[in-house]
Order: sequence, then C-alpha cells, then structure tokens
Amino acid sequence: MTLRVWSGGGRRYAVDEMALACCAVELAVDLPDFDETDLDIDAHVLVVAGTVSRAALPTVLARYEALPEPRYVIAFGACATSGGPYWDSYAVIPGIGESLPVDVFVPGCPPRPHLLTTALESLVGDRDVVGSDS
Amino acid sequence: MTARHGSINLIADKCTSCMLCVRECPVWCISLAAHAETEAPAAPGGRARTVNVLDDFSIDYGLCMFCGICIDVCPFDALEWNVADDLVEVTRAATVHDRERLA
Repeated sequence: MTLRVWSGGGRRYAVDEMALACCAVELAVDLPDFDETDLDIDAHVLVVAGTVSRAALPTVLARYEALPEPRYVIAFGACATSGGPYWDSYAVIPGIGESLPVDVFVPGCPPRPHLLTTALESLVGDRDVVGSDS
Repeated sequence: MTARHGSINLIADKCTSCMLCVRECPVWCISLAAHAETEAPAAPGGRARTVNVLDDFSIDYGLCMFCGICIDVCPFDALEWNVADDLVEVTRAATVHDRERLA
C-alpha cells in the first residue's frame, strides 16, 4: 500500500495509490511519498493508475473497500478510464468505472503529472473530502 | 503548465469525411458520421458533383493515447494539436468530445 500526500486549499489529504502500470510513474512525479510525520491522516481517495486486468480487479476492489467512508475514486489515465489500448482484450476491464463509482476521470496515455493535481482540486471542490488542517 | 500536445482540434471546414483518421487510430477513439450531397454544376453544361458533408465527429479522450497519428494522416490538415489539456471530467460520457467541443 502506497500512500501519498496532496496539499491543496490549506489542507492536506492522504491519497491511496493503486499502481498497476506505467501511469503510476506520472503519479509519483506529481505527489511526494507519504512522510512519517503524516501518518495521522487516513486516505479517503483511491487513485487507480494503470491497466486493470481481470486478475487484478479483486485486489483493486479490496483496496477500495479498505478505505474509510466517505471514499472517492480517481481513474487516472486511459486504461483506468476505458481500458485504453486494451479495451477489446478479454483479460482487461474496459474502465474501472464499471466496477467502482469513479468521481473523476483523467484522460491521457499517460496523463501529464499536473493533471492529477487538477483532478484532486476538482474532487475537493465538488465533494467534502476528509483532510487534515495541519 | 501548458503542453503542446494537450488536445486535438477539428477544423470542420477542411474535413472531407475521408475516414483516414478513424481507420488509422490505434485505439479507434474517433467516430465520424457523414452523408453525400449532390452539388449543382459550377457552369452550364457541367457535371453534378457528389460531396461528403460532415454530420458528426467525436474523439473519445477516455481512450485517446494522444499519439497524433490522426493529425499526421489527415490529408487536408483538418486536425491539429491544441495546447489546452484541461480534459479532466467527472463522468465517463463527458470524456467524449463532440464536434462543437473539438472546434
């Protein structure tokens, strides 16, 4: 389990990362790793980055279930959004949206790192995401 | 931050509905609908011409790999890169951009 911290609007938010493929590299560029001193925050946001194969789907769903309510999902990249170049493969889920309630879709193959910031800003602007004031 | 290859613009006036972009797209993210119309001869005694008229054109950015092959293959330069990359959407359906949003 990789947790990352995102700071926006004077608050800090913990973000859980489901790194499945190359998109996860872009994600790592935008958000720093979880720091020891930040361990008091719970993640309420799951970022699915990469191709969700049928074999990996139970792991992704379990990761989502493990988040405390309220929880939010960001589909990061073409594969998580629609299956991307593998949309017609028997082994690939054509978008995590058919298995999880996705709140924000980030197109791109891969998306530029700063689009994750845009997605988180949009999520925090629309929903009451649990964060930390410190 | 802006990017050179942020999104794709359609210049509908230049499009002849030849379908090259649709067929060359590696992920089949472009859809195009057109119909044929007959144009009257330009001069008396001339021949009537059949032209394609573009009805609908959309790019599914949820699938698009931003490879630019559609832009490369377009013989009429009807597709071009746009720096705008604000494509983050809250619904899957909204990631499909129709003709108006691509203009």
